[in-house]
Amino acid sequence: MNSNLLGLILGMAVVTYFPRFIPMLVLSNRQIPKKLAKWMSFIPVSIFAALVFSDVFFWNSEVNVNPIENVKLLPTVLVFYIAYKTQSLLWSMVFGIIGISFMIWFF
Amino acid sequence: MGKKEWLEGFKKIYPVMISYVPLGLACGMLLYEAGIGLWGIFLMSLLVFAGAGQFMAASMLSAGATMPSIVIMTFFLNLRHLLMSSSIAPFFKKRSVPFLMLFSHTLADEAYAINYNQFQTDKEWRPEEALSANLLAYSSWVGSTVVGGYIGSSFSMNTVIMNYVLIAMFTCMLVNQFVSKIFVLVGILSGVLAVILMVILHHNISLVIAAVLASFIGYLLDEQREKKRTVEGDAIQDE
Repeated sequence: MNSNLLGLILGMAVVTYFPRFIPMLVLSNRQIPKKLAKWMSFIPVSIFAALVFSDVFFWNSEVNVNPIENVKLLPTVLVFYIAYKTQSLLWSMVFGIIGISFMIWFF
Repeated sequence: MGKKEWLEGFKKIYPVMISYVPLGLACGMLLYEAGIGLWGIFLMSLLVFAGAGQFMAASMLSAGATMPSIVIMTFFLNLRHLLMSSSIAPFFKKRSVPFLMLFSHTLADEAYAINYNQFQTDKEWRPEEALSANLLAYSSWVGSTVVGGYIGSSFSMNTVIMNYVLIAMFTCMLVNQFVSKIFVLVGILSGVLAVILMVILHHNISLVIAAVLASFIGYLLDEQREKKRTVEGDAIQDE
């Protein structure tokens, strides 16, 4: 294992650990400030959206909204629907694999 | 902790342990695909233990992201645990610091949901049972990701498909966050910002900037809405 990878793992470990531990230690009898909690409640949705959009709309490092060239677009519409209906990670992944495989084989 | 605590913990957490198997396998395969070896996967699951964060690391590594941007993104992604930890902390009175440290390290979305519900509804549920539930889920995750990495090392897979598994997972997590209109709006805003910034900056830090900006705008919109509501409420009272 090289030192870059070790650094990445340790970096991720530290930044993940503190948000889990600090409240356990200091906030066991208090609430976190309401405004901070409100801001933080919007973080997950923002991150997932940024991850999905910045991947799905790019093909060969360029923005591409042609659903025949950019084979990720149509399966994502399907996965949105499946996720909305089932709320299940597993089903979303299964339909995602089926959708993208279909697109790759046909186009 | 004795046999009883482990058994009680297991009874509540086993569905989570089972659901971690396919997710952990997928995560291990993707991490292997992204160039992290078996020991790296083991160490990451052991030390980081954050499903979404590890999936994201695989995705960003495959996209050639730099280390600092992955770490910053992991920080923001896992900041949600701050809320979970704060809300469950009051149930952990008079426990030693090492106990709290271990519990905190193994606090994750699914086990949190089970434990929080147990603490609220079951008088018999104590921090010891909660810790055993956490540790069982943790071991299922660590084991599954390592096995996933091993499978990934033995078979080669289509990278477009493998990468898309991640996108499908993030899409589902995104949809699960859509609890009200304002969250949908913030999501779209963040996504559009991320695409625009990516085009301009050609760097994965765009995702961090987009997420921070969009979540802050979400906060402002929500404050605005609440203010409006109070004003309207006052107006009704005045009448």
